[in-house]
Amino acid sequence: MTTLIVIDQAPYGSWSGREALDMVFSLAAFDQPAALLFIGAGVNWLRKSQDAGGIGQKTVEKNLAAAPVFGVEQILAEQSACERFRLGEGDRLNGVELIPSVRDALDRFERIVFAG
Amino acid sequence: MSPGLSYTLVITGAPWSSQAPQTALAFAQELIAAGHHIDRVFLYGEGVHLASALSTPPSDEPDWPGQWADFLADNQTPGVACIASALRRGIVDQGEQARYELSANNLRQPYQIAGLGEWVEGNLKSDRVIYFHGSH
Amino acid sequence: MTQEQTIQATLHILNKSPSHPRFATCLAALHEGDTLALAENAVLAVTDSTAGLPRNCVALGADLEARGLAGNPNVQIISYGDLVRLTAEHSRTVSW
Repeated sequence: MTTLIVIDQAPYGSWSGREALDMVFSLAAFDQPAALLFIGAGVNWLRKSQDAGGIGQKTVEKNLAAAPVFGVEQILAEQSACERFRLGEGDRLNGVELIPSVRDALDRFERIVFAG
Repeated sequence: MSPGLSYTLVITGAPWSSQAPQTALAFAQELIAAGHHIDRVFLYGEGVHLASALSTPPSDEPDWPGQWADFLADNQTPGVACIASALRRGIVDQGEQARYELSANNLRQPYQIAGLGEWVEGNLKSDRVIYFHGSH
Repeated sequence: MTQEQTIQATLHILNKSPSHPRFATCLAALHEGDTLALAENAVLAVTDSTAGLPRNCVALGADLEARGLAGNPNVQIISYGDLVRLTAEHSRTVSW
């Protein structure tokens, strides 16, 4: 039973997205199938060339890029949100699957957990 | 009454910045009344503020951390604060105080501090996992 | 899970105000047969002229009363105990 973790908050402005990522990595560490879905402003997590040093944070780009290695099955992103935030294919991390409908994406998973 | 279900409750909203602990407490009381079992209450993210022993609201205001702790103790329900979320926000038990050589500890009884593995176990073993999020 | 599989009826517990982006996302994700439970700030939807609520919509009475709302003929008022019953009846619950 794959758990889908949904992140709809923009990166860096709060810790909730990072803590949702910790959930997905924790599932993977316990060999539980897990996937990630980024919607709304949350798709900005997927942008290449993030550099958060100037605001005193670590970028999450490397963690996300390594997600498949840690056993995260899929990284999904809402297509319309990517368009809205001008996140074209060349701007996004590799391996992200665009989904045209959030509803259809949610239907693919038994368990849905939103970032708090 | 049919045999009850087992639940894990996950609270990610903090008292005072959200209504999550209140809704979760009313829900938990009705769960017990209906004959269900709560395997654990897991505090995550901002929700760990519920486990601070130092929350001291004015006496004419509701005391959500106190009410929750009483509920957990009365029903012998395990309350678990996620260790990473808790340490970040200054919720520390005796063990972590010693490990990090901190000046104090403030984890409210009867909570325990533990890792996300407790949440994963809830996913595997409880019939239901219900989330109480903040409002932001 | 595959898309071909039939998704069972889902309980959606929504606690965000109608002006929160997650509110509209939730409403757009509902299927026929799903139940939407409004809690906390989400109960403002009963008096929001722009909120298109689904047929199976319930709202926590305590949250309505707290906000001075009587409800809406299309929304069933429920107790916390009713919410417990709904979570027991649905094997799939999404908290928004």
